[in-house]
Amino acid sequence: MFRGRYAIPAALLASVGIFGLMAFSPSAAQADSTTPTTVASADGGYPYPTQTSPTSTTSPTSSAPSGYGTANITLPESFIAPGQALFDASCASCHGADAAGTSRAPNLQGLGAGTVDFWVSTGRMPLAISSVQAAQKPSRFNRSQTLQIAAFVQSRAPGTGMPVPIVNLSAANLEAGGSLFTLNCAACHTITGAGDALAGGASAPSLHLATPTQIIEAIRSGPGNMPRFSEGNLTPTEVHDIAAYVHGVIQHPDDRGGFGLGGIGPVGEGFVGLLVGVGLLMLVCFWIGERT
Amino acid sequence: MIDSSLRWVDDRLGIAKGGRTFLDKIFPDHWSFMLGEIALYSFVVLLGTGVFLSLYYIPSAHEIVYHGGYLPLQGQKVSEAYATSVGLSFDVKSGLLMRQAHHWSADIFLGSIAVHMARVFFTGAFRKPREFNWIVGVTMLLLGIVNGFLGYSLPDDLVSGTGIRIAYSIIESVPLVGSYLGFFLFGGNYPGNGIIIPRFYLLHVLIVPALIVGLLAAHLGLLVKQKHTQFKGRGKTEHNVVGSPMFPTFMAKTTGFLFMTTAVTFILAGFAQINPIWQFGQYEPFQISYAVQPDWYMGWLDGTLRIMPSWEFVGWGHTIPLEVLLPAVIFPGIIFNIFFAWPFIESRHTRDLAYHNLLDRPRDRPKRTGAGAMMLMLMFMIFAASSTDVMANFFQIRLNSVLWFFRIAVPLIPVITYFVTVKICEEMGGAEGIGKRKRPNVVHRSASGEFSTVPAEARPGDGHEELEAVPVPTFIDMVPADLATGPGIRRVMR
Repeated sequence: MFRGRYAIPAALLASVGIFGLMAFSPSAAQADSTTPTTVASADGGYPYPTQTSPTSTTSPTSSAPSGYGTANITLPESFIAPGQALFDASCASCHGADAAGTSRAPNLQGLGAGTVDFWVSTGRMPLAISSVQAAQKPSRFNRSQTLQIAAFVQSRAPGTGMPVPIVNLSAANLEAGGSLFTLNCAACHTITGAGDALAGGASAPSLHLATPTQIIEAIRSGPGNMPRFSEGNLTPTEVHDIAAYVHGVIQHPDDRGGFGLGGIGPVGEGFVGLLVGVGLLMLVCFWIGERT
Repeated sequence: MIDSSLRWVDDRLGIAKGGRTFLDKIFPDHWSFMLGEIALYSFVVLLGTGVFLSLYYIPSAHEIVYHGGYLPLQGQKVSEAYATSVGLSFDVKSGLLMRQAHHWSADIFLGSIAVHMARVFFTGAFRKPREFNWIVGVTMLLLGIVNGFLGYSLPDDLVSGTGIRIAYSIIESVPLVGSYLGFFLFGGNYPGNGIIIPRFYLLHVLIVPALIVGLLAAHLGLLVKQKHTQFKGRGKTEHNVVGSPMFPTFMAKTTGFLFMTTAVTFILAGFAQINPIWQFGQYEPFQISYAVQPDWYMGWLDGTLRIMPSWEFVGWGHTIPLEVLLPAVIFPGIIFNIFFAWPFIESRHTRDLAYHNLLDRPRDRPKRTGAGAMMLMLMFMIFAASSTDVMANFFQIRLNSVLWFFRIAVPLIPVITYFVTVKICEEMGGAEGIGKRKRPNVVHRSASGEFSTVPAEARPGDGHEELEAVPVPTFIDMVPADLATGPGIRRVMR
């Protein structure tokens, strides 16, 4: 009954449906549905990737600028010289040799190492193109280089700004993080953390690849259009709870129920429901009905 | 045994006569006549899965402490409605499958109604004497959309709660009576006193489905009474129906189709996630998530709301929020009034008051086809406008540019569609042999290398052929032998 000439429209419709599924299905990272119920300590102590040599020389103890969290990384003096070389090569043409800013880019003095770490480690700096919002891209520097640049900028205005936090999520409270996230973050980043476009070319980025350190740095420094949350708004404990929730639930959601369709809600669902659901059933009509 | 028991029933209820008529009801065989059945069987799936859900769902805004399978929610205070909805997804066996099947089925139900409606519209099946059935159908579409929204709201999650908030604002935007209506429905100012979930539940599982079932019976009763329309073709006239009888041919087909509809719904439910409410969290009136859209059949209302400029009328101590009233109350009102009134609008325009049992080819009625294409394009454009943020994010364009694109495109592109469609239809009407099955050409190469083409032999459907009228046999086993082995096509007088 299923003659050859109907195979072509059938195959076309099917391929459109499959394309839709692929386009809206989650990436491999999301599809990994192993759901940590409490945050694994392996990621909890993130800020020191093992491949970097300066780990041994830095001593992660609480340091000068207080008021930004429980524990911060102390960047050693030895970082400043190589950091300055990197800064001169990649940053100084816009931010000025002393990080004091030019007509093209703002003054970085006093922003602190944590702010620099966020912008550089997420690849937003150095800027590829001047636009409404700096684009996220693979970072050009490894962890130790990033911290060296941060140490140099910090050395221009010692004792001010946000240091690089030490993140330990082992004691964090996921449930509290969830409510805080819904209240403070979901209005822009969406409740699934997928991110979305805001007005005027700005957008709230997806949180699916952010590290706990970057999350805390972003909350405390308020990059771009994002509001800055001081300790009066969110205590260090609360910030850690949010980071734990983003890392444990947003980035590793319990994605039962099949393909996630991109986590963008009814737009993808309607697309699949109409094309695959109604489409398949129309093909069935076409199959069992007469066509002349 | 069967014979005697049937006779026993017939002696008391007299079912033989009606049953005979029903079993001999002739169904045209064209595939497009089965689109409405997708809706019918999706409705069956909706009822079945809905009954399952109602066994576990508790429609209450009462706050309880969650202790269930979803760990990030452990120990939090949530409403009973949300807790049991999450419980359906985590703790009830096959609950998530049933919940997803119910939701996918709703999407398919309304999608197939739209497709069925388009078939009826473009072929002119709504003309006299079937205007009533068209109105019944449009009413069911309206009720289906309403019930879809009510059901979407029941889990009390953050996304659907936002939808209820929008619905409340839309009700409030009606001049004079708006706030009274809102207070009446919600039992007070928003969000009411926890009363809206039980009320929506009552409407969703009892009142609206009962209305739909009643209208469905009327829809099918009118179909049997008035008999099917049919396309023009061999042996088909205004005074007969050509097709397969209900028993046995059509019954076998349609039962198979019920299973196919169920199968497709459950394949989607098993493989594609829909509305993962546990990721959204429960609704609190002071919380909001960005990127919230309604289901696709409500998307066109959301689209008009999004592209509307923020106009407002203030005067005599009152504010009329035109930015809500126009796109969310007046516009859908106009659209549905056009739907309801279309048979009468058209007959007034064409002055055609005759009975019609033969269908039009869409291309033979350029203006109607153009109007239909215009409406479909308008619906599609405002549906697309309901995802301005998703588009801006996906294609990395400014949200404002997307918004302005739709503000211009939504009124403009449907008008262009109308003229293009009318032109295409007119051109097709003038072309020779268009729409006919093409006879293949066989290419020959002679010994000297010369090529020539010869049309292939005519296939059975290519030539002109008249069907003989065959009376419906009194008993099935009295079908003549040559018909019993044939394709089962019969022709009866109206």
